[in-house]
Amino acid sequence: MNSKHTIGVFDDEDKLVKAIKYLKSKHANIKDVFGPSTNHELIKSLTTESRLPYLAVLVAAATIAATFAFLYYTSVIDYPLRYGGKPLFSFPPMVVILFLVTILVTGGVSVMLFLGRTQLFPGKKAWIPDPRVSDDRFYLVMDQNFNPEEIIRWLREFGALEIIETDIEKSSIS
Amino acid sequence: MDNTFHASRKMILLAVLLMLAGLAAIITGLITDPSRTWSNMLLNNMYFISISVGGLLFYALQFITGSSWSAMFQRIPLALGSFLPVGALLMLVLYFGLPDIYTWAQPGIAEADKLIAHKQPFLNTPFYMVRIILYFAMWVSLFFMLRKHAKNEDLLPGTAYYKKSRHHAKVFVFVATVFFSLAAKDWIMTIDAHWYSTLFGFRAMITSIYYAVAVIVLIILFLKRRGYFTSMGEAHRHDFARYLFRFSIVWGYLWFMQFLIIWYANIPELTAYYYPRFVGDWKHLFYLEMIMNFVIPFLIMMSDHIGKKPTVMAAISILLLAGLWVNLYLQIMPGSYGVIRFGFIETAMWLGYAGLFLLVVFSSLSRMALMPLNHPQLEESKQHHL
Repeated sequence: MNSKHTIGVFDDEDKLVKAIKYLKSKHANIKDVFGPSTNHELIKSLTTESRLPYLAVLVAAATIAATFAFLYYTSVIDYPLRYGGKPLFSFPPMVVILFLVTILVTGGVSVMLFLGRTQLFPGKKAWIPDPRVSDDRFYLVMDQNFNPEEIIRWLREFGALEIIETDIEKSSIS
Repeated sequence: MDNTFHASRKMILLAVLLMLAGLAAIITGLITDPSRTWSNMLLNNMYFISISVGGLLFYALQFITGSSWSAMFQRIPLALGSFLPVGALLMLVLYFGLPDIYTWAQPGIAEADKLIAHKQPFLNTPFYMVRIILYFAMWVSLFFMLRKHAKNEDLLPGTAYYKKSRHHAKVFVFVATVFFSLAAKDWIMTIDAHWYSTLFGFRAMITSIYYAVAVIVLIILFLKRRGYFTSMGEAHRHDFARYLFRFSIVWGYLWFMQFLIIWYANIPELTAYYYPRFVGDWKHLFYLEMIMNFVIPFLIMMSDHIGKKPTVMAAISILLLAGLWVNLYLQIMPGSYGVIRFGFIETAMWLGYAGLFLLVVFSSLSRMALMPLNHPQLEESKQHHL
């Protein structure tokens, strides 16, 4: 894997947002943005379409099916016990259990999927590509999947004050 | 585009024609089948009064929560409340049809039915009428106060009238939650005089906001197409779609809770209400009600992308308007009329009421600025985006 990164340093949000929009339109990979503050425009320009909600719907559907199968198995096949004169298979009381189990499982699995996808877990070491990223400048971190020279040229065009080329392996601070 | 709404001549004509059709239905109905007509009249009264109260509850909620996104749409929920005085008159007209709707109002029932005799101190015609007057006195006076504050706010910059509106919004929420629940129990639940449900009133209140939001959405989308609300965007539609989605969950939850507890306990006094609806002739409507009011809105509004499309929102709102009718039909008819009938009387009466409702609401809208002029959160509302 190519661990080399190009970092553009900006001092103005507006320039940064313009650069991000342009780079996105060219399908360059934006790895991360570090900065002292944020605003609406910046978040909006960085937001990508998430497929997590669709996955959550699938998980919910699977949970409903599995829970229903379990409830049917326990109350009708494995331990048929008639109480209150109700039929062995009666749907209304199942609804509450289906509802709660679906919320619990879907919520939990969604969190797990999110953490897995963003590679976050308890005790993870912070990834800091450059020691100065916590300064009062905006640091736009780019993957070098694209032609690096071209990215540097674009960043300069959009008003980057400084361009840093770095290797993450070396710059990770533990 | 100027900031006042003008109802076109065509719209007024349409509303008047609908009202005439409704009037014709009431007259023919009273001659041929009085019980059916009176029950339908109660249904339509409840239908439009609950939308009206729900609109005011929505209005009040925006003040209490300090919501800024809805500041520019305020006048629409407020205008829904203007049907209340008309609704009061229509409820008073029911006096002549009480024995046709309620078993407890039939003469001589106290001797035949011990349980009703026991409830007679509460369930008697004079007290019933007094209660109607009391409920409406509270709601209508609070509505006029809220409307007066809104009007004064347009004339005078500053937050003085905003604060007054907020105060009266709090009073209204209290009055409406307590007394609209009571009113729903009074008007609808006592049809099955032997049966009672503690959840019934709360369910009616949630129902009223749910369908009021649907009506507000329809009116706003209509006005938007006419060229008003130019600053309305995706974010506002998103918020309305979330309202519909969340209330569909709450509605479905309460609907199911009322049913589940009675189904589970299986006590004859209580299941007597659900038996004809769940097992008997009405069972198709029973499932239809759940599908129209919960399943379809829930599944469609679940997706953010689909839910905030104007056509989808309008379609769901229209479905909900039909759903409210089925909902009330299923609550009223089995106890009062007893047979499923759907024909000229039902359709024309609903259309007539809808015409009257639109006429009252739109004439109330046209008498005020469509967007508040001096609301402190107006600019925030216009700039609202995701």
